[in-house]
Amino acid sequence: MNSTARWALGVWFTFLLVCGLIISRTEFTTDMSAFLPRSPSPAQKVLVEQLRDGVVSRLILIGLEGGTPATLAQTSKSLAAQLRKEPEFISVNNGESVGAEKDRDFLWRNRYLLSPAITAEHFSAPTLRTSLEDDLQLLGSPAGALVKRILPADPSGELIRLIDQLQGQTKPAMHDGVWFAKDGKRALLVAQTTAPGYDIDAQQRAVMLIQRAFTQASNTGAAPQHMLVSGPGVFSVRARDSIKGDAMRISLIATTLIALMLLALYRSPRVLVLGLLPVASGALAGVAAVSLGFGSVHGITLGFGATLIGEGVDYAIYLFTQITPARTPQTTLARIWPTLRLGVLTSICGFSAMLFSGFPGLAQLGLFSIAGLIVAVAVTRWVLPAMLPRGFTAQMVGAFAPSVMSLVQRAPRLRYLSLLVVILALASIIAHRGPIWNKQLGSLSPISKQDQGVDEQLRRDIGAPDVRYLIVVNAQDEERTLQASEKIGALLQPLIAQGALETFDSPAIYLPSQALQRERQTALPAPGTLRENMQQALSGLPFQSDLFEPFLRDVAVAKTQPLQDRRNLQGTNLALKLDSLLVKHTQGWMAMLPLRGVTQAQIIAAEIAKLPGQQIVLLDIKREADRLYQTYLRDAIMLSLLGAIAIVLLLAVSLRSPRRVLRVLMPLAAAVITVTALLTAGGHQLTIFHLVGLLLVVAIGSNYALFFDRQGDSGHDRERMLTSLLFANLSTVIGFGLLSFSHAPVLQAIGITVGGGAILSLVFSAILILPSAPEKTSLDRTLLR
Amino acid sequence: MIFGDKLLARCLLSCVLFFALSMGASAHADSVSVSAAKWDLGQLMQSLAQVKNIQGQFVERKYLSILNAPLEFSGTLFYAAPSHLEKRTLLPKPESMVLDQDRLTLERKNQRRSLVLQDYPVVWAFVEGIRSTLAGDLQTLSRFYRVNLEGSVNQWRLVLVPSEPQMQGVVSEIYISGSKNRVASIEILETGGDRSVMTITEGAP
Repeated sequence: MNSTARWALGVWFTFLLVCGLIISRTEFTTDMSAFLPRSPSPAQKVLVEQLRDGVVSRLILIGLEGGTPATLAQTSKSLAAQLRKEPEFISVNNGESVGAEKDRDFLWRNRYLLSPAITAEHFSAPTLRTSLEDDLQLLGSPAGALVKRILPADPSGELIRLIDQLQGQTKPAMHDGVWFAKDGKRALLVAQTTAPGYDIDAQQRAVMLIQRAFTQASNTGAAPQHMLVSGPGVFSVRARDSIKGDAMRISLIATTLIALMLLALYRSPRVLVLGLLPVASGALAGVAAVSLGFGSVHGITLGFGATLIGEGVDYAIYLFTQITPARTPQTTLARIWPTLRLGVLTSICGFSAMLFSGFPGLAQLGLFSIAGLIVAVAVTRWVLPAMLPRGFTAQMVGAFAPSVMSLVQRAPRLRYLSLLVVILALASIIAHRGPIWNKQLGSLSPISKQDQGVDEQLRRDIGAPDVRYLIVVNAQDEERTLQASEKIGALLQPLIAQGALETFDSPAIYLPSQALQRERQTALPAPGTLRENMQQALSGLPFQSDLFEPFLRDVAVAKTQPLQDRRNLQGTNLALKLDSLLVKHTQGWMAMLPLRGVTQAQIIAAEIAKLPGQQIVLLDIKREADRLYQTYLRDAIMLSLLGAIAIVLLLAVSLRSPRRVLRVLMPLAAAVITVTALLTAGGHQLTIFHLVGLLLVVAIGSNYALFFDRQGDSGHDRERMLTSLLFANLSTVIGFGLLSFSHAPVLQAIGITVGGGAILSLVFSAILILPSAPEKTSLDRTLLR
Repeated sequence: MIFGDKLLARCLLSCVLFFALSMGASAHADSVSVSAAKWDLGQLMQSLAQVKNIQGQFVERKYLSILNAPLEFSGTLFYAAPSHLEKRTLLPKPESMVLDQDRLTLERKNQRRSLVLQDYPVVWAFVEGIRSTLAGDLQTLSRFYRVNLEGSVNQWRLVLVPSEPQMQGVVSEIYISGSKNRVASIEILETGGDRSVMTITEGAP
């Protein structure tokens, strides 16, 4: 080992240590923020916050099936009781009236501050008279028994009004005191987790707790019951498990197969391990670079980045398979280095456009792959040769070389056929009905159709359809936020009458703003006035004298009682509801008003826009999420095209021959077109995963094309070189091809695209790129024409 | 449902009390012949169960301690075996209650509300008691009440005393009286001393 090699090893080792150190301090994120542009609109920001840790992301829906209604109700009650003890859950609701006493008590004590009916008119003599006449009717009606008890203290029916207002939302059917589906076959529960939806570990714990509690609760010896669990967090947990499981299994099989193949080639386990060093070093460098550049690394960057630098695996294969007793590692490297370097530069050019993306997610990906590839190729160039065993050569390559060469020599005969194939492929893409790209964020969803079905069923049962529309208000403090919510509520009421929406929820229903409470308090008449009004109103009615003394007393108390705030709600179910709709964040307060049954979103948006000087947004969660993804996808496609232009420029500068540039690009273009046509014809709508796959096809394929395009090699060298391409290709096809058998859409998409694309790139390179012998130039001209 | 289960239960209960009144609506006597000699509770239940349709009018008086005069309501009743019942109050102001199977629908001043009886054990007990009386199902009736029969086939009185403590907190006794398989009046004594009496006359209004 000479001093240069020693230096190289030392530098490499230190570099890995530094990378490791940086990575150990890196924060990894997995939420939607990858799809959030650098300068998001208010709606986009709210959307991502909501999907990250909003109340919607924390819901777990539970259905119990398989027993009689009585045993299911029993299971529901003991399951809920167990879960309520766990700090992992903010609330567990199954229809039981847990804490209803406290709620009722709060409403009763504060009815004159909370009721929307309280105005100066409300306790005038004529209005009181109407209330009292209604009371007489009510006494004879179903509500008689209730009215009789509270009438003396609440003749105007404020408590009933408040309860009506809170029960406005549709609720599931009941059986034995708990929620059930309409057909009575499924008991229903809704749990809200303490941890946000994006915290998959915490969500997993929550799901496990539910399962354990269910096992205990359903162990009654009666008919076996089973449980359905659904919700955003549950989906994340399942998706991670399935991707993890698939990725583990497939990569284990792929690694074994590739290792066996390379072991047969190299006959040295040490060399086999050395072959992994470039790509492993590259991955570490990529993560470290993104961590330094962006402060955190997104899960998507990690997954896609590792895919994009998959090209690095090939570098070692190119080197190892071309070493012969006559050619040392150094001389081999010296020979192939210009091509290898150009190959790496091509890939870097392709990916570098992403650095300039407005989406940090894409920019991270660009940085990751650039850093990763540079390090991978540098390790191949300076570290690997020194570590190879002395006199290493891959004997087997020589055995394959003749047959590979005879294939390669015959390949150009297929050039017209291959041109026909590409033209047909292009035609099929152009003629394809319907969009080539899938523009819905849902297309990335790893949720199976069956899981989606269960989710929809449970939501229908519970009467909690997926919240799609949400009005979001931001203000600097709690009071202003509540006041704004009240204004929106007043604006929505006539829209409900018009049929623009069915109903809405608002934090101001649970806690009116201080201003509104004060306004109501001021509107209450003084004790003397109220007594006179009451006497006038009562004349001629059959009520016992002095019956309404408690009413007079309570209004007098309300007139001077302290106003209610958040703290007074503590311990009630109202507080839980309020906390989910009114939250404090770094810049102030935010209120959310979920809308249900929206039929005319534009009208609502137009009305809201009329409210002056407020930060109010009507959020259509589905549309906004899709739009976010569309911009992301469009950005990625456009940057990839820019990358393609950069590649053309780079090749033009390096090869200094338009004809050679065309020769190198043609197989790449042919491969990309053909694999796209195959995907589209196979019924796939392309997603960001396919795009990443295509980028890798270009990165790998450009190496093939550049090697095929090399001039001036001896026949023997060219044989070995082309054979090394075959083995590099085989390892790519094994690695990615197996992914196409995955159940996870992400892995499948990348697997099909890269596996197919890599084979096609090699085949098209062999067919379309001819060695520059004099007698073949006529073909070049034909192709150029 | 987070709120007011108790309130709602009471509200429902009271509404079911109304049904108790209306359930007894006059039955057609002509289709069943009863032998006076062997007449007992079982016979009464059997003859009540024969009735498939009832149409009639009611007058109801409520005597409440908080009022210094009784309230009076009147309207129409309609019953179809086995489980459909309607009570439509016309005076002093219109309102209606419809019980179909286990679902109770109330309408008043353009407000409409629908409830499932199983949600509330007390209410359920009450409805089941009345329903069992009409269906002649003494076994079910006995699950909720101690049942006593007084009088003769031509002038009988059923005395129902709740056996569930929850129910006892609201109602102390129910008297259903009639002749043959025709129900003439229903009197309900509430635990607090308040009382209501409903008299029924058979036939279309």
